[in-house]
Amino acid sequence: MAEYQYKGMEIIVPDNDREHQGYFEAARERRLVVQRCSDCGKLRWEPGTACPWCTSLTWEWHQVSGKGTIYSYQIVTHPIQPGFSDWVPYPVVLVELDEQRGEPTEDEALRIVANLLDDQNEPEKEENVAIGKRVEVVFVDASEDFTIPQFRLLDETPGAPLWQFQAT
Amino acid sequence: MNGPGLKDKYCIVGVGETEYSKNSGRTTQAMAVGAVRGAMNDAGLKPGDIDGMLSYHSGDSTTSLAVTTDLGVRLNFYMDCSGGGSSTEALVGLAMGAIEAGMCHTVAIFRSMNGYSQFRYGGTGARARAPVTGNAVLRIPYGFMSPAQSFAFTFMRHMMEYGTTSSQVAHARVAHSKHASQNPKALLKKRFTVQDVLNSRWITKPLHLLDCCLETDNATCIIVTSVERARNLQQRPVFIMGVAGRVSKPRADMHYVHGPITRVAGYYAAPIVFGNAGIEPKDVDLTGSYDAFTFTTMLMLESYGFCQMGEGGDYVSGGIIELGGKRPNNTSGGQLCEGYTHGMNLVIENVRQLRGLADDYCPQWQAGVHTYDYSEGHCRQVKDAEISMNLGWGTPATSSALILRR
Ligand SMILES: [Zn+2]
Repeated sequence: MAEYQYKGMEIIVPDNDREHQGYFEAARERRLVVQRCSDCGKLRWEPGTACPWCTSLTWEWHQVSGKGTIYSYQIVTHPIQPGFSDWVPYPVVLVELDEQRGEPTEDEALRIVANLLDDQNEPEKEENVAIGKRVEVVFVDASEDFTIPQFRLLDETPGAPLWQFQAT
Repeated sequence: MNGPGLKDKYCIVGVGETEYSKNSGRTTQAMAVGAVRGAMNDAGLKPGDIDGMLSYHSGDSTTSLAVTTDLGVRLNFYMDCSGGGSSTEALVGLAMGAIEAGMCHTVAIFRSMNGYSQFRYGGTGARARAPVTGNAVLRIPYGFMSPAQSFAFTFMRHMMEYGTTSSQVAHARVAHSKHASQNPKALLKKRFTVQDVLNSRWITKPLHLLDCCLETDNATCIIVTSVERARNLQQRPVFIMGVAGRVSKPRADMHYVHGPITRVAGYYAAPIVFGNAGIEPKDVDLTGSYDAFTFTTMLMLESYGFCQMGEGGDYVSGGIIELGGKRPNNTSGGQLCEGYTHGMNLVIENVRQLRGLADDYCPQWQAGVHTYDYSEGHCRQVKDAEISMNLGWGTPATSSALILRR
């Protein structure tokens, strides 16, 4: 069983949870991975036992580019966990990865939850967060044995107009 | 479209609740006993008349067996289910099924929670300190945990795709607070304006504090039995026309992967519940659309077809959902103002409305005499309410619904 400490939280990944264990082991090696079905070849996220498209139980880890686009976001001002008190306001982003966008149906994509960080690994400023911005994974070493995938803004031209929340 | 189900064969015959407060000073068991006893008294049922019990909890409540001992009831059927919002309507359906199967004849359904003083959903207490395991390891370490945080992506995306504004959804708070000012039981009776909502502090953008529901200590109960038994009881029976229980989206996640994420589970539940009841949204006189947040009220009304996808902002801000409007929503003040009970109070309110017995400030409400004066501190009875509908939200990916008639 793997036990990690992160921002005052105890993260427990039991030995029988090989999906999440493999994910964090890959992150330790600075690789962002998702499961790839050995039968139909489709990628999937979040990790699970079987392929949601063809129900196959066989899969392997597949390294993705780690590049994507912000699909939705929020700026948390009221922290819930004590460890986030000195982080507010912080962005949580839903990142749509470049791989397998719009497949197998047009609404489908691999969308990952993370924080958007600046180059000091601090929460990115609200004015820099927008739906449509290009981002890339970064691996933050939280302790000797725990690395957490996060995202950072990429200096790339977005493929669509940006959208930013205004309270009106 | 499903078949006619069990339309009009079962009734809600009793409702009850304890005080809505932030510090009950009582155990969930003591409160549950109070709520079930209240519903039994309302229906005119004695301990020997109840033989089925259902409850739901999130690891924060008591059990059916503990409660029956205190009520002098012996059960032929009971089940304590795990779940939050969208459980009430689903359990009404299960109660009908249990009776139909011959396992029991009269079922009390309760929810009891010290949602403020013991187990807060939006707070920083015990829930925020529990070890993180399972698929939560991909969410909670990112400070993505509370209901507000969990649902915010959907709300934000709705604003982007459809131009929905903070001011539009704030009207849900305005309407429900108006209704709460006519409800002596409501925890928060103050009337709010759109500007009050916009001026309240941020929880997580796009949610202001006043976009979020209360956290409340409370227990609630409703009693379901067959139409034959219902006819001999104290209250005018309220008939169950149709029900849909815990209908889900294609994935267990918040539907972030299997989009579109702004299409919530009501989209899948609508044909079931309307098919069972044999009616359409236009036939519904009042709604109880789950208001964990201003946004959830809007999303559910939209996904059940009370307006087109994307027009929810206009629907909730156009006066339709206010008392005196075409189809008032959450006339008790709902979970934004009356109290947070994981949805059961919204069903209780609709039962009272269909009886014509909204417990407002009209001097003779108990005789069914109402003034229909919707100014502050007066009436909250909907005139000629024939058909009500409850739209239950669990997450964007889970919904239940219930259509009732007088
Ligand atoms: Zn497959």
